[in-house]
Amino acid sequence: MFDSLKKRLHAIRNAFGSSIEDAMGPAPEEEVEQPLPEAASPVQTGETPPAEEKRERPTVINRLKVFVKEQEVLLQEKDIQEPLFELEMALLENDVALPVTDEIIARMKEDLVGRRRRLRSSVDVLVLETLRSALCGVLGDGLNLIDYINSHERPIKILFIGVNGTGKTTTVAKVANYLRKHGFSVVIGAGDTYRAGAIEQLGTHADRLDVKIIRHQAGADPSAVLFDAVEYARAHRIDVVLADTAGRFHNRANLMNQLSKIRRVVKPDLVVYVDEAVAGNDAVIRADEFNRTVGTDAVVLTKADIDPKGGAAISIAHTIKKPIIFLGTGQGYDDIVPFEPRAVVDELLGGEAQCWTDSERP
Amino acid sequence: MLDRLGTSLKDALKKLAGRTVIDRTAVDELVRDLQRALLQADVNVKLVMQLSQAIKQRSLEEEPPKGMGVREHVLRIVYQEIVNLMGRPGEVTLGPQTILMAGLQGSGKTTTVAKLARYFQRKGLRVGVICADTFRPGAYEQLRTLCDRINVPCFGSPTETDARKIVREGQQACRHLEVVVIDTQGRHAFEENLIEEIIDLNRISRADHRWLVIDAALGQQASEQARRFHEAIEIDGVIVTKMDGTAKGGGALSAVSETKSGIVFIGSGETIEDLERFDPDGFVSRLLGMGDLRALVERAEEAVAGEDLDVNALLKGKFTLRDMYKQLEALNRMGPLKQIMSMLPLGNVQIPDDAYDITSAKMQRYRVVMDSMTAAELDDPSVIGSSRIKRIARGAGVSPDDVRDLLKYYKVMQRALKGMRGLGGGKFNMQRMMKKFGRTL
Ligand SMILES: Nc1nc2c(ncn2[C@@H]2O[C@H](COP(=O)(O)OP(=O)(O)OP(=O)(O)O)[C@@H](O)[C@H]2O)c(=O)[nH]1
Ligand SMILES: Nc1nc2c(ncn2[C@@H]2O[C@H](COP(=O)(O)OP(=O)(O)OP(=O)(O)O)[C@@H](O)[C@H]2O)c(=O)[nH]1
Ligand SMILES: [Mg+2]
Ligand SMILES: [Mg+2]
Repeated sequence: MFDSLKKRLHAIRNAFGSSIEDAMGPAPEEEVEQPLPEAASPVQTGETPPAEEKRERPTVINRLKVFVKEQEVLLQEKDIQEPLFELEMALLENDVALPVTDEIIARMKEDLVGRRRRLRSSVDVLVLETLRSALCGVLGDGLNLIDYINSHERPIKILFIGVNGTGKTTTVAKVANYLRKHGFSVVIGAGDTYRAGAIEQLGTHADRLDVKIIRHQAGADPSAVLFDAVEYARAHRIDVVLADTAGRFHNRANLMNQLSKIRRVVKPDLVVYVDEAVAGNDAVIRADEFNRTVGTDAVVLTKADIDPKGGAAISIAHTIKKPIIFLGTGQGYDDIVPFEPRAVVDELLGGEAQCWTDSERP
Repeated sequence: MLDRLGTSLKDALKKLAGRTVIDRTAVDELVRDLQRALLQADVNVKLVMQLSQAIKQRSLEEEPPKGMGVREHVLRIVYQEIVNLMGRPGEVTLGPQTILMAGLQGSGKTTTVAKLARYFQRKGLRVGVICADTFRPGAYEQLRTLCDRINVPCFGSPTETDARKIVREGQQACRHLEVVVIDTQGRHAFEENLIEEIIDLNRISRADHRWLVIDAALGQQASEQARRFHEAIEIDGVIVTKMDGTAKGGGALSAVSETKSGIVFIGSGETIEDLERFDPDGFVSRLLGMGDLRALVERAEEAVAGEDLDVNALLKGKFTLRDMYKQLEALNRMGPLKQIMSMLPLGNVQIPDDAYDITSAKMQRYRVVMDSMTAAELDDPSVIGSSRIKRIARGAGVSPDDVRDLLKYYKVMQRALKGMRGLGGGKFNMQRMMKKFGRTL
């Protein structure tokens, strides 16, 4: 996942780096007007570039001058316009939705332009830190489902919602399999009573996984089915209820109302919004709608095997500020991967960001 | 969120309104906004860059047709370039044929198969479908249920695992039918085995059409996926599903451009009836978040196609009967006169209500009356006294009142013009009127 973005980001980091260096002008030693042999010794850290090390006994004036030149940089927007544009294109090409791209760019700008930025060691680190904080800010914190289940009262009820065909039913089956492997008992509720073949689809999955499924007939009230599934879990001391629902579009008020009703009846611990990695800009709009009208607690992003760029992950997480818990990476039961934002950002930035601890970040 | 973008493009277009020379900055701005609208609609990034480059270049290099404003000129180029990219709508013939469906997981193939069956059934053709999806749990039951609702035979087997075999046997079973639609399992470009499979299914079935089903929300992946499908089985039509949501379908545009095919149908809902033939204008309008772009462009073209008005002479104060007639003709082509007049900066000038009432019958009469006038009278109607009125009426075979009516109307218009000149002048021309008109769309 994120491979192509990663590649682009690497190039862009370099572009930022050289733009910033250009903006800073020639190296400090050439700037010093008086041809004094002395120059500032580094003010605080051991991260001084080697060039400065031979300097000694600075005058106060020189010391100040070099301090400004070496430790701080004041950037104008035009200095970084080009790499910013490249970053924008890279994000867009990787399916990060336009408004989210705008926001990342704005964050980068805000962090870099017009402010005196202290350079800890190198321009590259400054760029890395800024990118990292922009991406972390956008991806948010993760959520570990196993920890969650362990720390809450059972049965844990999880409701899966989303637009048509994103992979809700398949995800229910995958999560059932995943949880069982982690030692939890599971019951599935066939809450899609509308779409042709939906009950048979989930039924086949349940049979193959040998998981209990609660189902009614096609056309039955979905709330009633799911209520029965919850009752079943209570009566049989089942750990987790996984509730499937019919796909629906966020602009269909009656269908959204039905979902709100299901929510009231089931009283889920987690409402999981399922969308697909292949979705473009609409991902932002519908995630926002579902989040506002029904409410969501977490996100599963499916079909990451079709679109490993990951832009939709960034878009959705940023828009509804809810953690992504899993990526779907294929049609097999094991094609599900827990999502850890920090690891993803580290991965995106080429692993180098890992060496920066929290306290070192701006 | 969606509308905001549409608006920003509209705003950029507005900035071009009223300009008579092409301003590089304004065009740049417009192109930037256009890019944003297209990107937001999920059109492929590279395609957007190419498109906007072409639009920019043409806008700056091509002379606007005489009488066409800068805004209409640019608008027309935008429209032409996008329509060009979109190609023509895919062909649908109403005869015996086999259609093979292909597409990503969950894009809407199975639902669309049933919709197509319904479409051809309604056209009076004998239709059957084959479920060659041997992978997805419940795939056969899904298609079967949908087909039962419309009494279309559905060939398949929930237990058979060889899709090739199903297609072979299915076609045998459907021999007596005219239209056969084959549903296949969802697959993507990187699944080599499945790409192999669909190549085989295409070969075995000797399908007449291979239609690619694209979810309206599909993002930047559209191009690459479409390319791979096209390499494998030569896609000759694209169906965009789920257009009843809020997605704009830009991915379909990328797919069409990649496969050099056209959009055949639009899926607009979950039921079997929710299938529509493709309407390019509606599609482009939605893509850009603008009203009916083509209507606007056409109107501009028509207005220009008329005789050129001597706008300058008109503004210098020379407003003849001939000018008025031309003006009226042009206005009539554009729509209800009152609506247009009400958009003009007429200030305090009072125009009697019946002045708006220029029906084509009346125009016809004016034309006849004017034919009986001398050149001098046409150029300067103030020379027309009561004796001349009688002469003109006789010559035209109308009553003197009809002649007076024309002269009265002329005076009203002339006064309106003077009023406008006082109001900053230089403003009364077709282009400006067009702009005002376009803006209300
Ligand atoms: N490649 C891939 N396909 C997936 C993934 N998740 C689901 N699918 C496929 O996507 C298609 C649709 O999945 P479903 O689980 O039926 O989707 P849904 O959201 O339940 O659909 P509706 O109930 O009709 O709204 C099926 O063919 C799945 O096998 C994934 O992570 N990768
Ligand atoms: N609202 C809406 N839903 C649609 C439309 N077309 C398909 N769907 C829904 O999208 C979901 C997926 O449709 P399917 O027909 O099962 O998709 P598919 O491509 O056959 O899926 P796989 O066989 O798993 O690859 C279902 O919930 C359909 O009801 C449409 O035009 N509008
Ligand atoms: Mg489902
Ligand atoms: Mg299907």
